Amino acid sequence: MTRAALTPRLLRNVKRPHRTLHLVGSTLWLALGMIVCHPTVAAGNEAALRVRGPAPLELVRSAAPASWQRQKVDSQGSSWPQTDWAGYNTLTTLATPPGNGAIHLITPTEGDAAKGRQLAFDRTRGGSCVACHVMGKDTPPQPGNVGPDLSLVGATRSDEWLFNYVYDPRTFNPGSIMPPWGAHRLFNVVEIRDIVAFLKTLKVVHTFGDTQENPDSRTPPKETRDNLDPTENPAMFALDRGKELFVRASVQGKSCASCHAAPESTMKSWAAQMPRYEARLNKVLGVEEFITRHARATTGAEFPMQEADNVALSVYLHHLSNGAVIRPDLSSPGARKAAASGRALMQRKLGQLNMACVDCHTREKHAFKWARGQYLVESRGTIAHFPTWRTSRGDIWDIRKRFQWCNVSVRANDLPPDAREYGDIEMALAEINKGEKISSPGIRH
Amino acid sequence: MAEPMKIRAKMEGDAADVKVLMSHPMETGQRKNEKGELVPVHFIQSVIATHNGKTVLDVQWSQAVSRNPFLGFRVKGAKAGDKITLNWTDTAGDKSSIDTTVAA
Repeated sequence: MTRAALTPRLLRNVKRPHRTLHLVGSTLWLALGMIVCHPTVAAGNEAALRVRGPAPLELVRSAAPASWQRQKVDSQGSSWPQTDWAGYNTLTTLATPPGNGAIHLITPTEGDAAKGRQLAFDRTRGGSCVACHVMGKDTPPQPGNVGPDLSLVGATRSDEWLFNYVYDPRTFNPGSIMPPWGAHRLFNVVEIRDIVAFLKTLKVVHTFGDTQENPDSRTPPKETRDNLDPTENPAMFALDRGKELFVRASVQGKSCASCHAAPESTMKSWAAQMPRYEARLNKVLGVEEFITRHARATTGAEFPMQEADNVALSVYLHHLSNGAVIRPDLSSPGARKAAASGRALMQRKLGQLNMACVDCHTREKHAFKWARGQYLVESRGTIAHFPTWRTSRGDIWDIRKRFQWCNVSVRANDLPPDAREYGDIEMALAEINKGEKISSPGIRH
Repeated sequence: MAEPMKIRAKMEGDAADVKVLMSHPMETGQRKNEKGELVPVHFIQSVIATHNGKTVLDVQWSQAVSRNPFLGFRVKGAKAGDKITLNWTDTAGDKSSIDTTVAA
């Protein structure tokens, strides 16, 4: 858009006391030409944006790429699980009933302990029992401690109790975070009999020779890389790309900079106030979905969520807010309702593994414990570095891709990036992380 | 088109500590795309670093180097203000170059 076309519209929207200033700006422009006027009009522009009311947004279409189904591959070609887990709970549907306390087996079992041992240590089935339990003298390396040490379980529990607990722990403990291995068809009845036979052999306390092997004394990992060092974090390339995109003219001749001329000063806390509740859509918009919808309504550019350009702009806009504290606007009833819905969704048991966010990421449950080699952290401190470079995936993830990965990790279908449920969770997390300082792009394993 | 690159050089004792991050797909020629077709070989083959115009590092790389390679090395005898340049050439014949002055 040319300056001349932009100015009259702005003047209509600016309150009277400012009008004189703008006329001065315009006159200066006429008198001195582009060099003087560019910053002058642009500065007026920011003022105009403030009084104009809600930001223009495209409100009809999906913000996800047109062909979105489920995440398939990362940019480096690493594949995502494609199994259809729609038969289990997702964030949008409740498909599995809670455990009903039924006893599934009441006779003593006979099984093959050697086969059971193999199943218990098999990482391909459910992550293996060792992901959460220490299991006697044969415990494989780096066991977890989310569940209790089972080294003595064979001496203290009956066959019947063990079978039913493994089949569906909710029979005895409705709040258990252990997957219902039988009820959710991860193991069949014969396999569970074998596992029980193996459990019955565990009768001796396991002592660790190495403090780093013992999950109770293992040193938690600490990220020491400098995420803002451009020679250390490959996501800094996306920052440059985002900066370029911000000033690149669309086919309509407009760029982000046409209205936001000095983002370094005017947008230095913008991303820290995201996500925001958007009444026109009755949902929460994060930075990434806002970019898609705002660009469509203003410059006409297409930046579908989770495509490289959208992520690059998100990195740039978050980077502008570095050092600013996260402070989502929870003043409207809609925002508070979304945050409450997010908190409820974080308690919902999902997927074939039947796990909720809170099971692993709250102090009250199992945060600061080990799930095999992975150290579980609590929800506070987990969002200020997004979008973040994932060394293990060779890709930059926005917060929504992290949610999608959480879904497939518990074996639940991932949702589209612009799903309302993800927005609610993002709002709940922003509330939990209030006061944390943005430091983006991050870098994580 | 030259791929972006980041470089930083800083004196540490009697040597300049140089860190370079290159942006490159480093395709091995063995990976398949979504359609199951092989992605052609495309990696950085030659990397040359110079200190005030004199070559101090000349390496031949292969498929074994990761995507977005990071290269760190120390140049003995360098002083603050000296110029460090890094050039690479890949299997497609593309070249990229970046330079920096050594910080104190």
